Amino acid sequence: MEESLLRVKEVGKHFGGLWAVNRASLDVARGSITALVGPNGSGKTTLFNVVFGLHKPDEGCVYFNGERIDHLAPHQVYAKGMVHAFQIPRLFYRLTVLDNMLLAARGHKGDGLLNSVVFRQGWQAQERELADKALELLNLLELDHLTLSPAGELSGGQRKLLEIGRALMADPLLLLLDEPAAGVNPLLGRKIFERIELFRQRGLSFFIIEHRLEILFDFADWVYVMDKGKIAIEGKPEKVAKDSTFYKVYLGD
Amino acid sequence: MGVNWAQVLFNSAVTGSLYLIGAVGLTLSYGLSGFPNFAYAEFMTLGAYMGYFVVRQLGFDIYFAFIAAFLACGILGALAYRGVFRFLANRGANKIHLMIGSIALGFIIRHIIGDIWGWPPTTFGIIWPGFDIGPLRVTDLWLALIFTALFLAVIMHLLLTRTTTGKAIRGISSNPELALASGINIERVTLLTWAGGAALAGVAGLFWGAIASISPLLGWAMILPVFAVTILGGIGSFYGVLAAAFIIGLAENIGVVALTQLGLSTEYRMAIAFIILIVTLILRPQGLAKAFRRT
Amino acid sequence: MNLGLLVYSLDIVVFIGIFAIVALSLNLEYGFTGLGNFGKVAFFLAGAYTYAIVMERTGIPFYLALIIAMLVSAGIGFLVSLPALRLREDYLAIVTLAIGEVLRLVVKTEDSLAHGVWGINVPPAIHWSGMSVLEMRMVNIGLVYFCLILCFILVQLMTRSPYGRVLRAIREDEVAAEALGKNRVKYKAQIFMLGSALAGLGGGLYAQYMQYINPYMFMPMVTFTVWIMVIVGGPANNRGVLIGAVLVTLFERGARIIKDYLLLPIDPINLQYILFGVLVIFLLAYRPQGLLKERQLETKAIEGVQQWKNRSSE
Repeated sequence: MEESLLRVKEVGKHFGGLWAVNRASLDVARGSITALVGPNGSGKTTLFNVVFGLHKPDEGCVYFNGERIDHLAPHQVYAKGMVHAFQIPRLFYRLTVLDNMLLAARGHKGDGLLNSVVFRQGWQAQERELADKALELLNLLELDHLTLSPAGELSGGQRKLLEIGRALMADPLLLLLDEPAAGVNPLLGRKIFERIELFRQRGLSFFIIEHRLEILFDFADWVYVMDKGKIAIEGKPEKVAKDSTFYKVYLGD
Repeated sequence: MGVNWAQVLFNSAVTGSLYLIGAVGLTLSYGLSGFPNFAYAEFMTLGAYMGYFVVRQLGFDIYFAFIAAFLACGILGALAYRGVFRFLANRGANKIHLMIGSIALGFIIRHIIGDIWGWPPTTFGIIWPGFDIGPLRVTDLWLALIFTALFLAVIMHLLLTRTTTGKAIRGISSNPELALASGINIERVTLLTWAGGAALAGVAGLFWGAIASISPLLGWAMILPVFAVTILGGIGSFYGVLAAAFIIGLAENIGVVALTQLGLSTEYRMAIAFIILIVTLILRPQGLAKAFRRT
Repeated sequence: MNLGLLVYSLDIVVFIGIFAIVALSLNLEYGFTGLGNFGKVAFFLAGAYTYAIVMERTGIPFYLALIIAMLVSAGIGFLVSLPALRLREDYLAIVTLAIGEVLRLVVKTEDSLAHGVWGINVPPAIHWSGMSVLEMRMVNIGLVYFCLILCFILVQLMTRSPYGRVLRAIREDEVAAEALGKNRVKYKAQIFMLGSALAGLGGGLYAQYMQYINPYMFMPMVTFTVWIMVIVGGPANNRGVLIGAVLVTLFERGARIIKDYLLLPIDPINLQYILFGVLVIFLLAYRPQGLLKERQLETKAIEGVQQWKNRSSE
């Protein structure tokens, strides 16, 4: 069996005396859509935050693409190929949609101070290319008519799409999506997942937290159910849905 | 050469008392409104000038000066809150805008004071003779200062624990949403805090003017140590300020002894408070307050 | 226009130039990157005193002394940035304010450095024997505005680029910027160092123009004046900040001229600051974006969008 893209091994994270994540282990396979579900407060977002570097784990380790990453800062994890999209979109609201997308681009030559000021040729051309790439993605997400509008003018659903679009712009190996379909109407939610499937076929892997189980289970390859900081069940969606523990977790004992 | 440690302790109490009176208003209004009010320096300056007005220009006793300072600065505080800060907040000002607004307000007050009373430093024209109590060299002024601080501490404690307003202040500081939900009139409490805090600042300024000299820049001479006390104590915490004021008072006075022993200038006394401020902000910005269970 | 008035006006022009440099540096820190530096005067002071001390003790040419002044200021900026830049805005403001006062206290107390409160004389950068005041002013205008133009070009190039886009992102939401791969510590430190260096340049120019500096010339009021230039002119708009520098300096120095021509019950200098304060408060309430608003970042990327729009409408 080939090595998983993301491996979370016995990770624990506590705040004060409370263990938000308690000895959780999971694997995300390459080219898969892996789901993380569970009731509110089960520790899903905290686990995400540990994985992409916002918090350091108190116990355990995280491996990505064979390398250990739990000690890295978010911008370093990004450089390794993992991008995280927030549950409540953290867009740059006063900047344009285009700027938001361009900021996500990996390896932009203009990011450095010297390049910005002195070696201007390097990034001028790159800006054009990246703009084209951004527009393609925006088109796919049906946002291209808003390219030059400030991100603050977007509706709730559009903001979620932009958040995902930004993450896609980064050409990641693995995308961490925190509730991509939350707060949008079911039709749009399904559309979002269709796009996700599209990108999975292009080679991206996805690790998704989601509450909309009806949609999620149609698309996910593997599901982890989290409860009180631990992984309670895992397996293919059909199997998990039929597992009696699953309902106990959601409804409480 | 021996050091008169009793004197050092006494001096620490004097310094601490001054800082306590000065910092209470700042910590409470900062805690309630969420931003540091740099015009607070001018609240203190006005207190000193009210004293000057009463003593030098009207010819009354220094005791009336306290009442004048308290009232005038209290009114100023209320006006500042209503006329400037609440106004700006309602217009969507963020923290930095409010800080800059407070600086602008400071300019206004400072130059009004400068225009009315002039810029060159001046004094109350009263000498408080020193006399000895045992090993201590004291003056009436210093004793009055310590007494006022003690009085303030008792009043504040009673206020915070016995009255509804006081409990409201503690409630709003620790949990604003719950406070709002439980029907506390946040607006009224905030206004009272700003007025009362400014009034105390005026009294502190009056004492400082009596101890040092009076000038439109008086407030700025005192403001950073007052900030140091506020931050060290933990923004919004009276008990924190109570402890921090005397800690810093002690640090300054022991520091003066140390500076002299080391052959450094005692001008660096001021730097002691500044350094405590900087170090606290860097290492533990929430200050001491969490160590106390009450606000 | 008599000669005296001309010479006085030229003085205002020099001041505008010097403070425009400092204001641009603050705009870089606050306007574009969101760093609320309330200790600007510290780096202005560092530049001024470094220049003065270097010129007093060595015989090096003035431009080298200016560069050293910039380096020292940048160095102090770097030291400050290490612990301070991760603080939230009000804490950063207070800490930078306190650091400014500590520096001022040090130069005031350490007579061995720069004669403490007695101040230190500073030789003008460019001078020849028999120079008139008018000529001195003109020369300084040339020097200061040469530096200003270089600074302006630098900040414009920096902010109208992908680097500038990252700065704005950090200003808007630094956690999100970090999640998109931007090392916020690195960017903030770079900007703070650069901003400090520019303020140091302003300080050096100021020192050689005034030909004498003492600690009382570097009170927190200087920082606040520069802040008002940025707020009035327009945060994140470099041209706006230049206008802000002009307006604020005119306001400040202009009162002295009016004093000779108008009789008022209130001293015009005080009145001017009072009006100033009122104006700033109104500005914060009704036009916090300043006179010139922040402009959208325009790079070749926008051309790409234009082409796309043309293509899709075909």
